[in-house]
Amino acid sequence: MGVAAALAVLGALLGGAALTLAVEHAFVRIDQEAGPARHTELRHNLQLPNADRWLLPAGPVVALAGVALAMVVLPLGPGLIGRDLGIGLFYVIVVVDFVVLGLALAGWGANTPEGVEACYRIVAQLVAYVVPLGLAYVGVIMMARSLSTVVVVDAQRGLWFVVLQPLGFLLYVVTGLMQSYRAPFLEPFAASLGGGVLGVVGGWSALVWRVALAGVLLVVAAVGAVLYLGGSSGPWLPGWAWMLAKTYGLMALMLGLGRLVRPLSTAETLALSWKILIPLGLVNVLLVGGLILLGVGPGA
Amino acid sequence: MERMPAQSPVLGDFGFVALVLLMAMGLALLAVAAFARAPTRTVRAPPAWAQFRFGYAVYALIFLAFDMEMIFMYPWAVVFADIGMSAFLDMLVFIALLSAGIAYAWGMGGLRWE
Amino acid sequence: MMAAFDILAFGACSFVAVAGALGMATTMSMFRSGIFLMASFIGVAGLFILLSADLIGLLQVMMYIGGFLVMILFMVLVMHDPGGAMMAGMELSPLERWFSKGLVPRDEATSAGQDDPASGEGRSHAGNRHEGHAMPHGEGRHGHARDHGGGAMPHGAHGGHAEHRHADHQHGDGGHGGMDMSMVTPVRPLAAWLAAAAGVVLVGMLFLRPAWPVTDAVPDPDSARRVGNLLMDKYMVAFEGAGFLILIGIFGAVLLARPSTHPDDPSRAAKAAVDAKPEAIRDDRLAPLAEAGGAPEPEHHGSHHGHEDHVG
Repeated sequence: MGVAAALAVLGALLGGAALTLAVEHAFVRIDQEAGPARHTELRHNLQLPNADRWLLPAGPVVALAGVALAMVVLPLGPGLIGRDLGIGLFYVIVVVDFVVLGLALAGWGANTPEGVEACYRIVAQLVAYVVPLGLAYVGVIMMARSLSTVVVVDAQRGLWFVVLQPLGFLLYVVTGLMQSYRAPFLEPFAASLGGGVLGVVGGWSALVWRVALAGVLLVVAAVGAVLYLGGSSGPWLPGWAWMLAKTYGLMALMLGLGRLVRPLSTAETLALSWKILIPLGLVNVLLVGGLILLGVGPGA
Repeated sequence: MERMPAQSPVLGDFGFVALVLLMAMGLALLAVAAFARAPTRTVRAPPAWAQFRFGYAVYALIFLAFDMEMIFMYPWAVVFADIGMSAFLDMLVFIALLSAGIAYAWGMGGLRWE
Repeated sequence: MMAAFDILAFGACSFVAVAGALGMATTMSMFRSGIFLMASFIGVAGLFILLSADLIGLLQVMMYIGGFLVMILFMVLVMHDPGGAMMAGMELSPLERWFSKGLVPRDEATSAGQDDPASGEGRSHAGNRHEGHAMPHGEGRHGHARDHGGGAMPHGAHGGHAEHRHADHQHGDGGHGGMDMSMVTPVRPLAAWLAAAAGVVLVGMLFLRPAWPVTDAVPDPDSARRVGNLLMDKYMVAFEGAGFLILIGIFGAVLLARPSTHPDDPSRAAKAAVDAKPEAIRDDRLAPLAEAGGAPEPEHHGSHHGHEDHVG
């Protein structure tokens, strides 16, 4: 029975990734494929003679593992969850970090100047997104009083958290884009680096990277729907339909908003994160704390 | 069998997680196998592992400090609503300390790309 | 049956923890060293989870992924051969050889047909002499760089790597047998025996201690709540004290990173990252809204750019 559930989780990942690529396709020229991995060579295996033979293949595998593990705690509907971990939300943050780790491994492992430079930019983006993202989560956790995704969805039966914590939602949208390496935070995959990590990827790793990168956007959007948009709750339609609608709606919103701003360089991303997002995040925590003390939000 | 202590649900949960992990690695292996006979192109590039000044050293150190801070915020957030004002004040002090850190770094010109 | 699962899980996590630590200490690549340490701590996190301390276990993983990636970056900032390519071509003990497998030794010179990338075994004979010259500079750099350096990261774990013995620089016998540049110091056998003795003492203490009380109580599965409550009442001082320590750490980081009063020797300058202007998004239907100021206007209709050869 556990095996069936695990297979279902992986199936949800693959299906969701395919749908994500379809949604991203709406934002790209008709003749192009979608997603950051679109320029990778799917038909050829690439051989890099100087590569680190352990780290380079480990990259995409670690990233895929991270995304698959994150799918375990996503509540796709009432009762439709891989496993309701008591510390679900914290677990999601930890596990999506593996995607960044995988990107860094692949970048360094490639041992090309572009790949190694991309590795540094990828870690820079990690340094930029982790703390503000955590602060966006913390506001929701405070109101829901739990780290479990199911409890968070349940706590929004009355009112979605986006209404109570608009600042947190904004923070989440921006840092979610950083976490999934989409516009405007695209420097690690810039054309000036020859596509960075993805410029030297081919064959099986091209396939795995497509799934992993689409998967991370899916996970970010789905967790956003759970945290701020009430997850699978809603009238008339079954829970999973709401979850689907909210996830892809949020994803389209994030992608669209991301393209309204010009791409940011790595230095600008770091400055944005540390000078603007983190102070805002700390203010958000204090605001939410104040709201809770005043009795606003789901009752105990 | 009566003497066995009850199994904590955490073990079962993480057993499932381990199962999903193994299956994801299996999926990756499938992908590798699918491309086993694809044509191969060699990429020639100069080796690039060398000493490098990556420009965001101060950001990285401050990130480490704030990572430690986030560790405290997660459990605090879970119990905050149950405890109320005293927890709020404690976190206020904590956040004030950290904001002082950021303000200092910003004021001393540390938050810039080198 | 449950007991078998427990034992299996415990064995797997412990194996990962120990093997990761072993790999960290013996591999030639700095980057791999950091990754092995990360893996070792993931094994430790598994042990925490087996004790039902899931929050603490995941905290370990979260801290150490971020922390070690940053630590690796600082190693790259300061160390001479972060990827292990130069060291991989030198003489290594079998354990080091195993954990350095897959690193292709750097051989710019003449060994055209001699190296076997698949096993990392190639000894670049002419290349070694070049590296022999490079090494003394490397030593000097380590010393200086640690003073100037970009931060206060402890290099302790990698002190061993840096302690090359230059004893046999230029092996007179035509370059065969390579250079003994790996971690052979005169005290190595002593250190190994000391470590083994310490291990024996610790394990002996485990076996000979009076029995620890075994309880049937199951740890509280809601560990986040328990930790939070403890933080707020019993460990309040530690909580605020930790915040204060973190603040001091930030002060230290900013102070240490200020440009020093001694100018760097220009010949020692490492390649530095440039704050480049980012590229415009080219493939978008929404591209008119998202141009980088000053970047060349992307043509998004008509000609397919022939997306450049990305590599090399």
